[in-house]
Amino acid sequence: MAIGPVGGALAGLSAYQRAAGVGRPRETGPAGVPATDFAQHLGRLVTDTSGALKSAEAASARQVAGKGDLIDVVTAIGAAETALDTMVAVRDRVIGAYSEIMRMQI
Amino acid sequence: MDLKSSIDTSASGLKAQSLRMRIIAENIANADSVGRTPGGDPYRRKVATFESEIDRASGATRVKVAGVENDQSAFTRMYKPGSPAADARGYVLTPNVNRLVETADMRAAQRSYEANLNAIEAARGLAGRTIDLLK
Repeated sequence: MAIGPVGGALAGLSAYQRAAGVGRPRETGPAGVPATDFAQHLGRLVTDTSGALKSAEAASARQVAGKGDLIDVVTAIGAAETALDTMVAVRDRVIGAYSEIMRMQI
Repeated sequence: MDLKSSIDTSASGLKAQSLRMRIIAENIANADSVGRTPGGDPYRRKVATFESEIDRASGATRVKVAGVENDQSAFTRMYKPGSPAADARGYVLTPNVNRLVETADMRAAQRSYEANLNAIEAARGLAGRTIDLLK
């Protein structure tokens, strides 16, 4: 799966955060929970999506081999589709934010 | 996410109803299966029973097949002296399958399956529209 553009955008985003001095991953939130930065959240989202796509693929392969259950295939592909849609929507938002920052007058 | 677990719950309904459908198909297909030996027992009608089950990961109550039981009602008898399964007086025991009952059951399974499909479609539509908010 090609996630290059997102990775690039993330690299840009974290570079910007470092430059601005706001990227402090060790910081704790108001409730004392360790605050994870947005890049980690996004990374987890990408990993989840990739896992969903992999399990959909495995279910399809089982179905083609005649061993799978059609219902499992349909639900797995549905879950993968939802995950991918979420990821694409978030990616578009991130890229939008990145271009917004790039256009910013310094 | 609750919408995902609602889709999974509906999928468990689909699985249960498809098994019920299979049992009904077996009953209809075997409606004329008689015993192998003279006076022997013919095919006995089967019934699928369901039970609810709590999925620990999501907390959702799913449906699962509790088991496939035999219908203990009496076999019908037909006078067929020529049949190899006929007893000494020429009677053959035939399965306790009533095609009319099976057809009604099949309709119920079909409608229930469709209801679960509709629930999946609705949940998926809601998830899709929620994602669309980001776009």
